[in-house]
Amino acid sequence: MTANFSYLKAESLDEAVRHLGENGARLHAGGTDLLGCLRDDVFRSAKVVSISGLDRLRGIREIGRSQRGGGLGIGALVTIAEVAEDRRIREGYTALAQAASVVASPQLRNQGTLGGNLCQKPRCWYYRGDFACLRKGGDDCFAVAGQNQYHCIFGGDACVYVHPSDCAPALVALGATVGIKSRRDDRSLPLSEFYILPEDDPTRETTLRPDEIVTEIMLPKPSANTRSSYRKVRVRGAWDFALVGVALNLTFAGSGSDSGGGGKIERARVVLSGVAPVPWQAREAEQILEGKRLDTATASAAARAATAGADVLAHNGYKVPLLQGLVEEELLKLAG
Amino acid sequence: MSDEQGLYYQQGVPLPETPAPGDPPQPWGKTNVVGQKQRRVDAYERVSGTAVYPSDIVLPRMLYGAVLRCPYPHARIAKIDTSAAEKLPGVHAVITGQTAAADLDWRYRDGRQTKIFDPHCRFEGEAVAAVAAESPYQARSAIQAIAVTYEQLPFVSDERDAVVDGAPAVHDPGNLAGEPEKYERGDVADGFAAADVVLENSYRTEAELHTPLERHGCVASWDGRDLTIWESTQGAHVVQLQVAGYLGLPTSRVRVIGNYVGGGFGSKLGPGKYTLIAALLAAHTARPVKLFLSREETLLCCGNRPANNMTIKAGVKRDGTLTALELTGSGSGGAYSGRGVGLLDWLVKDLYNCPNVRTELVNIYLHAGPARPMRGPGHPQGAWALEQMIDELAEAIGIDPVQLRLKNIPTVSQARDGNPPYTVTGLKECLTDGANEFGWTEARTRSAAARTDTGHLKRGAGMAAGTWVAGAGGPPSTIVVKLMRDGSVSLNMGAADLGTGTKTVMAMVVAEELGVDPDQIQIENADTGTTHFTYPSGGSKTVPSDAPAVRDAAIKVKQQLLAMAAEDLAVDEADLRYLGQEIVSQRDADKRVAITDIGGLRRRFSVVGVGYRGPNIEGKAICPFAAQFCEVEVNTRTGEVKVLRFVGAHDSGRVMCRTTYDNQVYGGITMGIGLGMTEARILDRGQTGKLCNRSWGDYKIPTALDVPADITSLPIEIDDPQCNTTGAKGLGEPVTIPTAAAIANAVYDACGVRVTGTPITPVQLSRLLAEAAASGDRSPEQRQEG
Repeated sequence: MTANFSYLKAESLDEAVRHLGENGARLHAGGTDLLGCLRDDVFRSAKVVSISGLDRLRGIREIGRSQRGGGLGIGALVTIAEVAEDRRIREGYTALAQAASVVASPQLRNQGTLGGNLCQKPRCWYYRGDFACLRKGGDDCFAVAGQNQYHCIFGGDACVYVHPSDCAPALVALGATVGIKSRRDDRSLPLSEFYILPEDDPTRETTLRPDEIVTEIMLPKPSANTRSSYRKVRVRGAWDFALVGVALNLTFAGSGSDSGGGGKIERARVVLSGVAPVPWQAREAEQILEGKRLDTATASAAARAATAGADVLAHNGYKVPLLQGLVEEELLKLAG
Repeated sequence: MSDEQGLYYQQGVPLPETPAPGDPPQPWGKTNVVGQKQRRVDAYERVSGTAVYPSDIVLPRMLYGAVLRCPYPHARIAKIDTSAAEKLPGVHAVITGQTAAADLDWRYRDGRQTKIFDPHCRFEGEAVAAVAAESPYQARSAIQAIAVTYEQLPFVSDERDAVVDGAPAVHDPGNLAGEPEKYERGDVADGFAAADVVLENSYRTEAELHTPLERHGCVASWDGRDLTIWESTQGAHVVQLQVAGYLGLPTSRVRVIGNYVGGGFGSKLGPGKYTLIAALLAAHTARPVKLFLSREETLLCCGNRPANNMTIKAGVKRDGTLTALELTGSGSGGAYSGRGVGLLDWLVKDLYNCPNVRTELVNIYLHAGPARPMRGPGHPQGAWALEQMIDELAEAIGIDPVQLRLKNIPTVSQARDGNPPYTVTGLKECLTDGANEFGWTEARTRSAAARTDTGHLKRGAGMAAGTWVAGAGGPPSTIVVKLMRDGSVSLNMGAADLGTGTKTVMAMVVAEELGVDPDQIQIENADTGTTHFTYPSGGSKTVPSDAPAVRDAAIKVKQQLLAMAAEDLAVDEADLRYLGQEIVSQRDADKRVAITDIGGLRRRFSVVGVGYRGPNIEGKAICPFAAQFCEVEVNTRTGEVKVLRFVGAHDSGRVMCRTTYDNQVYGGITMGIGLGMTEARILDRGQTGKLCNRSWGDYKIPTALDVPADITSLPIEIDDPQCNTTGAKGLGEPVTIPTAAAIANAVYDACGVRVTGTPITPVQLSRLLAEAAASGDRSPEQRQEG
């Protein structure tokens, strides 16, 4: 049952971060998961600080060329549905639009925010259930020796959860940075540096300090001849997390539809979901792709490289062939 | 004719002859209302939210109950301290096994006697204590404030671990629940010797959890010695009997109301512990108590379809004649169930002609939630194994799977004593007409031709057949149809309408006989205070049990009206015909009287017909048959499977309401997709034994995106005048029996991987495809040539 907490609807960011700094305070944005976690006693909160009324975090803005070459700034309170439907995102940042469109269910996409999606708590059933697991301050990760079919094959340590976000791997592949506000200062950092591996701290998922709020996600202007995509494989067609997923962002040589320069891949980003506690950059796959034409042999080699170093648990070995199959398929789609 | 009458009666619809009193009614032949599409009679109420379900009930001074449940799969309660909980605001009662009035016996489905609050908890979720408080939040808080000292005990949470040496025993003396259940006919050794091909393969279905939309629970309220319970139930009358029995009350003092229920698939056939706990809390506090379980609680303790392990050995001649079938199976109904393997072998014994059959089933105890019947108990699991094996045999002898099945159509029920003939065996028509509707030959030709393609998206077609052990229905059922002086009609019946359309079907039966508009019939149902005994809506027997009684009641109304009209018109009763709005002499058309002008009705204000369900025909078996066909697309890179389309061909006798009939087919296929493709209970085997997937997020029932929009319902209507006076057989369960097996067969046709375990997800199929690619082999697993 939900323990008592006080509730504050902040009227400004400053007010929100001030209250967030108090011990035991938690942030509320879309609220699709917070109340469930409180009800199920996954964690407790003495004070819930809501930023749901802060309209300045709602918009999507075009960033002028004068600022770091331009791009798109997406407010943290922009809903997942808005991200999925925005024309600029669909055209310039396809991977993100595709990722947003496969999040959860229409209801949850209408209510859930992009900031909340990036700051999700793990979906591991031991973390969510009444198990005193490592991430909740207990001694053990129950998944290591337990039912770990949905757990990680990369980056696991004493805790083997997988990061649940679909948008995060797409944003990492697109080179997003995340803007953060606290009582002290504003900061921004690449989203790829936002997440924490269990080996660094098994009780936190991100570098966000308790009094910090994600305010904006900034995307650089896509270079010409860039194609991106995101796809996940799941058990059912909606309201399901990735068994494995892949975000691709490939920049080809040449300009326009002309594939002069041989259509070679100049720059490749391959970021995986459903396989690690953080959006997982498959660097060996990227290396194979860069400098090559995207043909079947390259796609196949990159797909194999995507699982290099995989460390499987008792029940998740399927993720290796599944991931290889998915990466190959998605690469060949972008070649198409 | 009065204006009111025009409201109620259909214009110009021919009606069936009224039999003379005491004569049985003739079969309907062609019907005018029955069999048509019909909007549900309570559609508006259900859709608009004005329908009051048991979980909607709010009574003055009502308290809310909550149950504390054991968090361990096996524990003994050493101590309970309720003092802190009792002091919390809003708390009116805390009861445990030590509360004198709560020291009640409880019998699980296997007949084992325990206590409502038993100190020995044999599954996670067993009831330990309960509270009543002024709000549900206060009740939950109070539950958490009860301090229980548990002595944790060794447990076993998978039936494959439960019958090995040293496994912790659920009950003395061990985990085998009785002797293996054995069946034999003919001589399987002879049968295998006579076969040209003998195959053997093993299969497994995972446990499915009951999760109807409306959770389990009730509101209990005492008025002096009378107890009224609003319960979300499939069978108000059985809840009444059992609650009265547990509480030692006269049956007449317990009233159970369940006229709306938000779904029930076998887990609401009787009262739960929650029913008695609510009654106890209500007695203890002298206030009404509402006790509905949380979704997590229902997943823990409101029943499941057991996991089953099955090995089939089968022999067939080159011409397709089955010579022998042998099934060994095991399963567990959890801590208290005699039904871990119930009916698992029925299809092996009864679906196909086969002279030599042997089955052996082992039922095992586990420290897990007790099973309850789930839509076609045992049958979808048995179909998963048998119907895949039939396909494997067909491939081994090079014959089409539909043709192999057609070679072995039974005309008698071989599994029943005395081998009674079926009234109708629609299996052949289900197979042939279903195959035609689906375009089976073309689809199989296409997938065979595409087998050498290099593309990674492979299409395949598969099918499976089935029958259902029950579905005949039978007595008792007592129905009252009442015609008022203004011509309006009410129908009074004991049956629940689980959302299947029972009320609509029964209204159509009344309409067929009386000529009234089904939408205008007032229906009173599933209230033990006002209706009469019928068994719970389960077993696909509500329509075949109750519809004949409804017909009988309607005929009895007509007979009385005819007798009254004969008096008014001074003619012989046999000369009169009931035409709906009026009664007319056949000899002299001038002699007619409007129903609302009949003197007897005007004087009496109402005419009541009481209908009964007569016995079934002796020496015959009455069973529904089914064949389903589907096409899938398999992504061989990822193991993703899309179900593209389904055809369900069902012989369930007469179609009563085409709308609700088709909806049953869609729903059964949807649920079968759950078994075949998404659902599996996951217990923390070997670690904590606790349920891992205890929410709708983690326990994955299919979504709209997992079910094809292209589902065709093809009724196979064969006149079956012997089955009952309406000609209808059961439908609700046969529609889900072949589904998962048909998908597995289609997946095999698409990609050459035989998936022997449910559910077919990328988790499983991506691994199997990788293994198949590594071995480079597509040949069937033919183990032995006879």
